[in-house]
Amino acid sequence: MRELAERGYLWCIALAFVAFVLVTIGLDYAVLVTAPWVLLALAGIAAVLLIVEARGVALAANRFKWYAIGWVVAAVVAMGLWALAQKDVQAAWPALKSFRKMWNVFEPFALFAAALFVLIAIGILAIGTLDKGMHQPGRLERTFAVNMSAKVAAVPMAFTAIGVFVISTGWTIYHSFTNSKLLPKSQFIGLDQYERLWSTNRWLVSIENLAIYGICMLIFSLVIGFVLAALMDQKIRFESVFRTIFLYPFALSFIVTGLVWQWLLTPEFGVQKIVRDLGFENFTFDPLFNADWVIYGILFAALWQGTGFVMVLMLAGLRGIDQEIWKAARVDGIPMWKTYIFIVIPMMRPVFVTALVIIAAGIIKVYDLVVAQTSGGPGIASEVPAKYVYDLMFGGQNLGQGFAASTMMLVSVLVVLIPWAYLEFGGRKRG
Amino acid sequence: MVDAAIMDGPRGPKPKKTLSRRNIMLYGTLIVIAVYYLIPLYVMVMTSLKGMPEIRLGNIFAPPVEITFEPWVKAWWEACTGLNCDGLSRGFWNSVQITVPSVLVSIAIASVNGYALANWRFKGANLFFTILIFGAFIPYQVMIYPLVIMLREMGLYTKLFGLVIVHSIFGMPILTLLFRNYFTSIPEELFKAARVDGAGFWGIYFRIMLPMSLPIFVVAVILQVTGIWNDFLFGVIYTKPDNYPMTVQLNNIVNSVQGVKEYNVNMAATILTGLVPLTIYFVSGRLFVRGIAAGAVKG
Repeated sequence: MRELAERGYLWCIALAFVAFVLVTIGLDYAVLVTAPWVLLALAGIAAVLLIVEARGVALAANRFKWYAIGWVVAAVVAMGLWALAQKDVQAAWPALKSFRKMWNVFEPFALFAAALFVLIAIGILAIGTLDKGMHQPGRLERTFAVNMSAKVAAVPMAFTAIGVFVISTGWTIYHSFTNSKLLPKSQFIGLDQYERLWSTNRWLVSIENLAIYGICMLIFSLVIGFVLAALMDQKIRFESVFRTIFLYPFALSFIVTGLVWQWLLTPEFGVQKIVRDLGFENFTFDPLFNADWVIYGILFAALWQGTGFVMVLMLAGLRGIDQEIWKAARVDGIPMWKTYIFIVIPMMRPVFVTALVIIAAGIIKVYDLVVAQTSGGPGIASEVPAKYVYDLMFGGQNLGQGFAASTMMLVSVLVVLIPWAYLEFGGRKRG
Repeated sequence: MVDAAIMDGPRGPKPKKTLSRRNIMLYGTLIVIAVYYLIPLYVMVMTSLKGMPEIRLGNIFAPPVEITFEPWVKAWWEACTGLNCDGLSRGFWNSVQITVPSVLVSIAIASVNGYALANWRFKGANLFFTILIFGAFIPYQVMIYPLVIMLREMGLYTKLFGLVIVHSIFGMPILTLLFRNYFTSIPEELFKAARVDGAGFWGIYFRIMLPMSLPIFVVAVILQVTGIWNDFLFGVIYTKPDNYPMTVQLNNIVNSVQGVKEYNVNMAATILTGLVPLTIYFVSGRLFVRGIAAGAVKG
């Protein structure tokens, strides 16, 4: 009986929370809107059952008393926040007007939180009465009383994880199925935004650019990074000097990187002019002004900025390899390059996978570099998805398109991330 | 006989020649690559020290005939972005006002979080943590607009403090991971001993964990200062021209369409913007490497 009531209580609270999150995301169907309150009421019934089981409520003289009081205080604070959003209170207290918007945002959250906190306080009271001596900690105790400071300390993390990451992502995905233009709307129109997206030339160019940039970036930064690391691993002198030189671009922002390379690749002053001055009058090298080559110009800058970092990762991997392996390979007379390719690289698989994931995550996010180096030009030749999203959300006032495009970006990240997470974490649990 | 001659030869490892063919190849390659990496920095500095006539005539690799610091002065005090003509100094101070509180807030929160995750494990913590780490890989583009709405409703959109909140939120996954991993590596006996002596959650954090983890705090500061200083996307979205951080202002100065392009001023401005992270990088050295490796390898 007690077990069942406790289980029901916890499940109801959890589900109420999920329903509340869904409503916040924008799924405001009548069923979902009422669901949190119904579930909270059910949890209340479960709490009452617990009280019945305990035959009355007593403010037990153990630490439960303080937890219960703490939750009541939290509930009162939440109620206060809710009250501040009410028109009557605001009318009576004009100073609040300036923060009116802020209070109004928190109104639904405050109401939900107040109800939740009251409920938790009741639950703890019931448990406190039921288990005065704290002989056998039950589910509720483990959830709401044990290890409380750590849970309170983790509130910012929970808020970021749920309040920002889950809700924002869900909100954007949901609204990518709406006809939002200047302002977000909740009218569901199915896949229209995606159809329009995939028939927009600019988006297709962005995807093509991202594919070229991504593939080249992956291959070149892995290869160059590894070769540099292998060179650095030959017990050379001045290693730290070389490392400092190879890595310093990584400390610079993409904006700085983009602007420097824009300057270096300017035809009338940069590399092209230098080579022409050497006597090659017809030499042309103007990647930033040639629609076919512009993405490689960006790639050049990105490689300059990022390979040092890959090198550091690889170097750490190489240093982790047992020196005995080198000795064994030398004894067997295997040439150095063969040792690297057939022995060392397979051993460094985890490092490669990590580097791959990090580079891939960076590729999809590429934005500042393009803005600084070419602003997407010439024409739309160097557009990338991240820039498309930004321009449509904040410049083109076509929110729905922006949401659809950003959702596509999310999908492409998940395509990379999920298999990796599965291999990395899923496999380990089983193995 | 021949064998014997070899056997009687010098013993011990063969003395290495400094100028062996292998070494020449090795160092040659490394130096060529190092030069390639250094060229942009060199060109930046050289260009910023020349006058405009000299830039138009000469080539970008040539050192300046006449060294002038005027471009630097101009970049700092006079360069124009749109209607404002007070140079990068405004962006610099904005960036300082953004970076300092963001770094402090995010590290304070993340260190406590990491500590709770490492030493006070509780049910459900792993779920939140997994979501948090996944969040680090979600493209920001998916989350920026809802955050715009939240900040606007709270009256913080386009304010510096709003940007501080955004940086604190997005800095959280990596920092929490960093601190969690570090606190996990501290021997658990220490923690248990403190528990036996009656120290609570905060007592252990402030008296034991904090004093022991100074290096990781330095690493976190380096990571955050560099990351936030170099940020462009959040700066351009969550602030308005008066509050633009340095990177956004730099981009607007260099890529503005109107007026004659003053390459020397542009390059001086670029160096000025890169100076803060570069200084941190050169001063911190190994810790910077450790920071990015720790932040990345386990991510």
